[in-house]
Amino acid sequence: MSLPPLEAEEALHHADELPETVSEDAIHGRSPMQIAFERLRHDKVAILSAAVILFFVLVAIFAPLICKAFGVELRAYPGSEIIDINTTFGKVGPPDHGFTWDHPLGVERGTGNDLLAEWVYGCRTSLMVASIATILSTVIGILIGLVAGFSHGWLDRVLTFFVDLFLSFPFILGALTLAPIIYSHWAGDASKLGVAQFWALIGVLTIFTWMPLARLIRGEVFSLREREFIQAARVIGVPTRRILFKELLPNLIAPIVIFFSLSLPALVTAEAGLAFLGIGLTERPSWGQTINKAVPYFDQFPLWLWAPVLGVMALVLALNLLGDAIRDAFDPKTRR
Amino acid sequence: MGAVGSTDQKGVGLHMRLRSLLAATSVAAIAVVAACGGGSDSSSSSGDQGFSEGGSGGGIMNANAPAPAPPIDGAQKGGTIDVWGTSGLQSMHPTEAYFTNTTSILSNMVTRSLTQYMWNDQKQAMELVPDLATDLGQHNADFTEWTFTIRDGIKWQDGSDVTMDDMVRGIKASFDNFAEGAFPNGAQYSKTYFKGGTWKGPFTDPSGDCNCISVDGRDITIQMSRPFPDMPFWGSFPAMGPLPQQAMGDTAAYGTNPWSTGPYKFQSFDPGTSRLVLVRNEFWDPNTDPGRHAYPDEWDFDVDRGDPTVLDRTLLEDQGDAQTAMSYDNIQQSSRQQAESSGRLVTGPSPCTIFWYMDTRKPEWENIEVRKALGTAWNFDDYRLATGLAMGLSAVPATMILPPGMPGRIDPPFDVIGNGGTGTGDPAKAKQMLQDAGALNTPVTFLFDASDPTAVDGKNIIVKALSEAGFDPQPRAVPNADKEDELTQDPDAPINLRHLGWCSDWPSGSSWFSPVFSSEGSSNYSYLSVPKIDQKITDIESMAADQQPPHWGDLDKEIMTDYYPVIPDYYTADAMLRGSKIEGYHNDEVRGMPTFATIWVKQ
Repeated sequence: MSLPPLEAEEALHHADELPETVSEDAIHGRSPMQIAFERLRHDKVAILSAAVILFFVLVAIFAPLICKAFGVELRAYPGSEIIDINTTFGKVGPPDHGFTWDHPLGVERGTGNDLLAEWVYGCRTSLMVASIATILSTVIGILIGLVAGFSHGWLDRVLTFFVDLFLSFPFILGALTLAPIIYSHWAGDASKLGVAQFWALIGVLTIFTWMPLARLIRGEVFSLREREFIQAARVIGVPTRRILFKELLPNLIAPIVIFFSLSLPALVTAEAGLAFLGIGLTERPSWGQTINKAVPYFDQFPLWLWAPVLGVMALVLALNLLGDAIRDAFDPKTRR
Repeated sequence: MGAVGSTDQKGVGLHMRLRSLLAATSVAAIAVVAACGGGSDSSSSSGDQGFSEGGSGGGIMNANAPAPAPPIDGAQKGGTIDVWGTSGLQSMHPTEAYFTNTTSILSNMVTRSLTQYMWNDQKQAMELVPDLATDLGQHNADFTEWTFTIRDGIKWQDGSDVTMDDMVRGIKASFDNFAEGAFPNGAQYSKTYFKGGTWKGPFTDPSGDCNCISVDGRDITIQMSRPFPDMPFWGSFPAMGPLPQQAMGDTAAYGTNPWSTGPYKFQSFDPGTSRLVLVRNEFWDPNTDPGRHAYPDEWDFDVDRGDPTVLDRTLLEDQGDAQTAMSYDNIQQSSRQQAESSGRLVTGPSPCTIFWYMDTRKPEWENIEVRKALGTAWNFDDYRLATGLAMGLSAVPATMILPPGMPGRIDPPFDVIGNGGTGTGDPAKAKQMLQDAGALNTPVTFLFDASDPTAVDGKNIIVKALSEAGFDPQPRAVPNADKEDELTQDPDAPINLRHLGWCSDWPSGSSWFSPVFSSEGSSNYSYLSVPKIDQKITDIESMAADQQPPHWGDLDKEIMTDYYPVIPDYYTADAMLRGSKIEGYHNDEVRGMPTFATIWVKQ
């Protein structure tokens, strides 16, 4: 018994999971992750999607630099200087005047906010909210799924009850209810209100997203825990925590990655949707908010609406396609 | 009798409510219009100023208007008019109707009252003319007794005569206009001015009586508890008309089918969907009516439609039914250019001023120099632009209390701050003023609707401008517009700056200063309490009616110069669309509504 149990089990269950990777020529095992990445590398759609996503991530990270490079400022409120008082649209740029480098996407009606700056910072908000909420809900989903799946009896039943409870609660209603509470709690301090709004939104999105993953993981754990390598680990007295995170978790990478990549775009959409409804973020730029403001003026100033709509569309489409590709790559049944 | 004044010392609700409840605080909701004549801000009560003067119309009284009303040149009879809107209809019970739209619809077409407003085409303004009464009422020397002689030949919609009992019943019903009464939303002038005002009305207290009305033949005499020179104006409300015996039953049911004495009667009315169909009342005799025309055969109101932008577009496209349709909603800012070039935009003033009220009870506003510093620092232009208020179309910049056309309004307008109510503020000067007053970092607390991105933009502009001027702006978020309305009107709300409007019920200074600037005023949101001003208001109200107007103008100037309790923001106006076959559509500047009685369909 000199072999460390972990390696033994890994070898065991890899062979068990993915027999097709073990051939006469290549005896060395490859993890599901490696295989998936190998497959993704050859998937043109996945590469393209990743490039689009990378673009948006860079835009989000370097938002201030991009604004500086274009010489635009976020929410400078020069309203009366830049707005034609008769049309209430900009004195320069679309819709009434030609393209100008001063304001490549034009300025917002009324406030004169530069729309490129709004777009760039809106991208930042979208990605930040969506990724933080996705990470949080993934972590929560994994923890609850693992614990529920591995524990027998009352703990499983309690956790499953909570999963069902949260699943049954309507998301929009929850968001609608929470917004006024946030507002009244932080009413007096606008700067704190902005922070509170931001984290409350992430909280709402997280609370209503983790359940499917928890269920998925619980189901997987159900079947895995009866497998030999887990049984073996138990017999030799490996602590439960170690079994959960070192034995079970590595086998759950596929569903987790898939959940992650598919809930990101869903949350980008949800953020924009909530902002559109006026219960999302109002203290910082957001695509949903821009869409909300632009809709009534679509006839006169279509670009105002198109910019954030295309932003959301491109980002969500790329995330979805990449998510699909990742799922395919992890699925042992797909052959390419 | 010229323009008259009156008192409202109890401070009951004195303002006719805008058809949109949100209008006063949510500027985006008031797509109102400036005078279309080209922004002239001058005014007088002489009535020869032409179209663009607002509010003065009712100052013109014509006790001798002949019945029937002289026909309108070229007007054709027949047709159905669709009226479209988005604000719905509140109570249509004649005793309770107090919104500009319900009052206007009932008064112009269905329920007749003692007096009425009528469009005067020569003066391009409304004038007060007799209705059921043969004149505008006879009064004693101190306006504590009014007598109206009721015309013969007035009939209900079933052909029966309107009796003097019906008249008394109708007028007495208005004593039930109070919060716990049968008509909680009705105007309370009867209770305030008539004798026996403590009586709770015939519905709440059937055994009681005001003992204020006596009948002698066709004469009806009302005793007042205090001078009420404005009685002819109150007489124009639907509440000052007859009620039949059956109105004493279920008031809610009667409100859905009030009996008509006017040219049209209710065919159907669904309060839930605000669908109202009016058809001809054959028992209306034009020979008894100096004010109303009734050219169309039918009116079809559908005024709770969803999207105002779609409504605008439908009227602008002018296809099919839309050609014989009209709206009394103000157009959306986004429809402005198209509407202006369509030639079918009806514009004109409406009788409101929107203020930023500084809460003078608060120690930080004690020093008038600090208040004036706020007015100096105020960024009008950016705020108006950001919140979607189009100056010139939606509003006229204000520097005074009285809106254009109010009798006695000072002309040319004075301006305490000297910026004409426009511009982006002078932060340097304001900071200097604050420094001189030793009041740097004066907190300015105000509400904003955090769910509305344009309101957030407006908030950010205020914060920026006031910070630069050395104030300490402290916006307070509220979750929605309803909450904002509620808190704004709460005297104990933790704010010291309020954004609210005031609309007069009739064109007289008494309709402004008592409610808004007397210490007992119902809408005194600056909480100004100056015995000297209270005394002046009382003094002016006890003057002969035709002498009051210049004193109101002087009082306006005195309050603004010596107290500066408000930053006047803007005067409202109307911009309404009509279909291409709708003719005779003018702006009723007393209510900010269409002149329903003069409208006809081109066949």
